[in-house]
Amino acid sequence: MPLLKVENITCGYGDMEVLRELSVEVAEGEIVSIIGPNGAGKSTLMKAVFGLLHPWQGAIHFEGRDISRLEPYQIVETGMCYVPQVANVFTQLTVEENLEMGAFVLKDGDIGARKEKIFELFPRLKERRRQAAGKMSGGERQMVAMGSALMLDPKLILLDEPSAGLAPKMVDHIFERIVRINETGLAIMMVEQNATQSLRMAHRGYVLANGENRFEGTGQALLNDPDVGRLYLGG
Amino acid sequence: MNATQDPTAQAPELTPRLDERIRAALQTRTAMAVILAGLLALIVVLAIVQDVSAGRILSLTVWGIMLGGVIGLGSIGLTLCYGVLKFPNFSHGAMVTLGAYVTFAVMQALPQGEVLRPFSFGWEFLVALIVSMPVVGVVAIGIDRVMYRRLRQRNASLVLFAMASLAMAFFLRSIIYLVWGSDFRFYYEGRANPALDLPFGLRVQADQFFILGLAIVLVIAVYLLLERTKMGKAMRATANNPELAQVRGINTERVVAWTWLMGGALAAAGGAMYGLASQLRPEMGFWLLLPMFAAVIMGSIGNPRGALAGALIIGVAQQVSTAFLNPAYGPGVAFILMVLTLLIRPQGLFGGTE
Ligand SMILES: Nc1ncnc2c1ncn2[C@@H]1O[C@H](COP(=O)(O)OP(=O)(O)OP(=O)(O)O)[C@@H](O)[C@H]1O
Ligand SMILES: [Mg+2]
Repeated sequence: MPLLKVENITCGYGDMEVLRELSVEVAEGEIVSIIGPNGAGKSTLMKAVFGLLHPWQGAIHFEGRDISRLEPYQIVETGMCYVPQVANVFTQLTVEENLEMGAFVLKDGDIGARKEKIFELFPRLKERRRQAAGKMSGGERQMVAMGSALMLDPKLILLDEPSAGLAPKMVDHIFERIVRINETGLAIMMVEQNATQSLRMAHRGYVLANGENRFEGTGQALLNDPDVGRLYLGG
Repeated sequence: MNATQDPTAQAPELTPRLDERIRAALQTRTAMAVILAGLLALIVVLAIVQDVSAGRILSLTVWGIMLGGVIGLGSIGLTLCYGVLKFPNFSHGAMVTLGAYVTFAVMQALPQGEVLRPFSFGWEFLVALIVSMPVVGVVAIGIDRVMYRRLRQRNASLVLFAMASLAMAFFLRSIIYLVWGSDFRFYYEGRANPALDLPFGLRVQADQFFILGLAIVLVIAVYLLLERTKMGKAMRATANNPELAQVRGINTERVVAWTWLMGGALAAAGGAMYGLASQLRPEMGFWLLLPMFAAVIMGSIGNPRGALAGALIIGVAQQVSTAFLNPAYGPGVAFILMVLTLLIRPQGLFGGTE
């Protein structure tokens, strides 16, 4: 049984349809990369999985449970976390408060220990723990956003363009951390503009265009596919 | 010296024009603080010119700080409501009035105890005050459930929210007229509370010190709640980024309920305190609405600390100006300060420049 199973969902904003009969699966411990041109509906898929939009048709199952009618604050408790593409930190809260908000649904206990684990993953955050997240660089913000999402020790994390707008060195650093997080057993579904690089680290990938699933396969197969290469990988 | 640092070496079109430079300088926080301080000084000077004694000016200042505390309690609720719900709540003044009258009603139901000298009130006032705070808070939550929540679910526009709150202000006022009538009411009919004789000709009633003390306690409590508790942090997070708050597992509807509870309770305390210092009238909160909004804008919308600072400035300006102005012009003074803020630095004293 896959960890996440998105089955034939159709969904959009108001009465504008964005996704059409789209299906995606993520197995336990897998990195799944979703690529596609701007406006393809990649972020919309993430929002639908996380309950910010509800599918008009189709179903979303997480660990066998239907989550398509749940609200985001309920989905957090099922063991899935989400890092949005934009506005993904509380700019007016400190780094530490951002992490605490990541563990909001926990009834106290080991929040301190969880914070320490995040600081181990991103030592930079420990130095800046008292700084407002809005005053940090793009890369540091991405660390805060990922750190907050990891506070609950989720089974699956959704990352929407974790490398967008970052310097090449920071992109490498973030990707390296993603692989490291995955090695601890966490499944990852990520959207990326850096298509080639992200397919290289992914176990499987999907190519989305116009709200539909165009190609799917292992990361390597998609990289070698001449059509995918020509249309979506720029050569 | 480096040539580029020499102002005469710069191309003329690169140097900002003088009036632009002046405007930019005026818009800084320091400039605004200086202007406000200057205005307060002007009011004091005007009072001195009119032969008002130093003792009286000092007393008025202390009364102004007390009034600032009352306005501050109201404006903290107003600013929190704006932060979390993103609309100006014009019925907040009516919540202040309601708080004063609910306190009155609870006192009527209680036996009258001994006067707690040197204050003018007995324990029944304190009990009534403590009861009215959660009562008004719950009323605020109830209003949200029947009205604002429905608007939220329909993604109504800001104008609709503002109009709905204005309607609610009139509705609440009518209810108060209906239940308690239009006559002035007093917590203690005809009970005197002589001013204490203090050094420097300062004449302040013990009740006024009580009001000031209680305002300080409540403000510290709000501060601790926002900075230290989980719900307080969730409130700030929701105000900052509501969608992300949901994504992080915060039930934003619960945050909204807590915001109303806090806002309503603080307004009720402010109303009871204001009623103790003067008398109860169905319009009392309405006349506080303008100073409250002025304080919120002056202290940067959505910033509780700023609202408190703004309230203190407005309270003092209003009170000291009564040395030479009819007290009925009080809201006018608040209005002038608000307009000045909007002209000089619309983001307020504590707003960022981003
Ligand atoms: N909040 C919204 N309201 C209405 N339409 C939206 C909204 N967000 C996105 N859309 C529309 O939905 C379509 C898909 O957008 P989406 O953000 O999912 O694309 P994307 O694949 O993530 O693109 P990008 O690579 O630019 O992030 C676009 O046509 C966009 O204009
Ligand atoms: Mg996107």
